[in-house]
Amino acid sequence: MSYRKPLPQIEPANQTFWDGLAQGEFRVPRCTNCGHYNWVPFPACRSCLSEDQEWTAVSGEATVWSFSVVHRGPGAFDDDVPYAVVLAKLAEEPRGCIVIGNTVGIDPADLYIGMPLRIVYEAIEGEDVTVFRFAAADAAQPDDADAALSVENQPATVA
Amino acid sequence: MPRPKQAAIAGVYTTKQGKLPDRTSFSLQLEAIKGACDDAGIPVEEVDGIIPLSMSDHLPGTTATQFWAAQLGERPLGLMETGGASGALAKAALAIENGMCEVVVLFYGKAGSRVGPRGTAATDRAPRVPDWSFYQSGAYMTTWYALWAQRYMHEFGVTHADLAEVAVFTRHHATLNPDSIMGRKGEITVQDVLDSRPICEPLNLLDCSLDNDGGYAIVMTSAERARSARTKPVWVLGGAESTYTDFYTTINDPWFPEEGKAVRRAADRAFEISGIGRDEIDVAGLYDCFTITTIRDLEEMGFCKLGEGAEYVKEGHCRLGGSMPTNTDGGLLSNSHAGDPAGMHTIEVVRQLRGECGERQVPGARIGVSLQQGWAVHGMAGVLVMAAD
Ligand SMILES: [Zn+2]
Repeated sequence: MSYRKPLPQIEPANQTFWDGLAQGEFRVPRCTNCGHYNWVPFPACRSCLSEDQEWTAVSGEATVWSFSVVHRGPGAFDDDVPYAVVLAKLAEEPRGCIVIGNTVGIDPADLYIGMPLRIVYEAIEGEDVTVFRFAAADAAQPDDADAALSVENQPATVA
Repeated sequence: MPRPKQAAIAGVYTTKQGKLPDRTSFSLQLEAIKGACDDAGIPVEEVDGIIPLSMSDHLPGTTATQFWAAQLGERPLGLMETGGASGALAKAALAIENGMCEVVVLFYGKAGSRVGPRGTAATDRAPRVPDWSFYQSGAYMTTWYALWAQRYMHEFGVTHADLAEVAVFTRHHATLNPDSIMGRKGEITVQDVLDSRPICEPLNLLDCSLDNDGGYAIVMTSAERARSARTKPVWVLGGAESTYTDFYTTINDPWFPEEGKAVRRAADRAFEISGIGRDEIDVAGLYDCFTITTIRDLEEMGFCKLGEGAEYVKEGHCRLGGSMPTNTDGGLLSNSHAGDPAGMHTIEVVRQLRGECGERQVPGARIGVSLQQGWAVHGMAGVLVMAAD
């Protein structure tokens, strides 16, 4: 069954971010003037207004900053209830990045504020997009065979 | 020292609220405009400023203000304002005081669409949405407010039962409002809220506002005209607005800074401009899209300290008979939430200050305040301070 949940209509200015996910990197614009990370990306740094920002791969380490277990989902998400939505705070500073996303491999009942997470990547079959999810920091790494399978399933051309 | 009385709300109107399958958004808006003008005793032809709270779907690409300027008689209008209700009304009063226009109508109406998760149909293929949209994570407005509630409960040691107290007192008020949608269902208890089905934990069904159809309008005019209007004028003493937009995408840590965010700024300015102290407020209308929202409103408005909103509610201040009866119509939780209900709280405060509220009347109510907020919690806020003669 194909993926029927919303995916990004990628803006050219953000292409580097989505390319990063396909390569297993979560990239955040970092101001080359003041060094602050900026999430979500804005055209200029929100600390110093410099337009000179660089997409910088972060560690992928994060903690649960807040979470909600959803019991009524919009559209195709309603097939998955209950599912978790988290606000995850990335390890990087200054100007902490709080990122909204879904979890993978975590029982929603086990979530707590402060729970260590790491970002994992999932190529969407039949689509030109790789998305990110949050897994428990101590969860097993996906094995190489799974990773290879994901890459194979990527379409040959990326729009 | 209260500001001089130069502009007043002269007319208010609410259409029937609820499921209105035979109505269109447009017809609700037109009914509301006519109704509020009639309430004021001012002909629609004399409206020369408009504040439509939604886009027009009549001619794609035209602004709502242009559409309504043409619809209301192809007359050039002197004020076109959009945005939040209380903030826009505060600006309308300044426009009237300074001669930009004389009769302003703010209005909204919605029928036939739903704003909750059931308003989104499943599709055969993945729909495409903007890069950082929370729809990719299966989040929607309730989810965002649930994340807010969860973090708030964590930081301040507040429980779901504490939040539920808000639903309980607003339902009580709704039972005294014959026009409210939920009033006839009777009182609820904290346990009823905790037992209602979960939507986005920690928010259950009874923590959430309604999702219904309806329309409303508010007419404001000059002091001179208001004095000769059909109804008792409700004076605009002052107001302010503020914006701080996080687009439902991210927020800054802390989410609950001591210095407050948009609502705090709007409230501080509104009280300062109007010359009214917080302890002088007899009746309040505070935006209550979810139970958590009311608790945060009370803190951000400065009626209590950060982290003490739930305690303030439990002490009974917001209940009829308390020190500052709040959302006496039943609020968005139990009266009506039609699409953008930003003006509904102002309408109820006006009715209270006119003394029209029957069983739910706050005796001797003379000074009131309305807060409208929304858009990712801190995105847009407006505060309006009003007084009867
Ligand atoms: Zn910078």
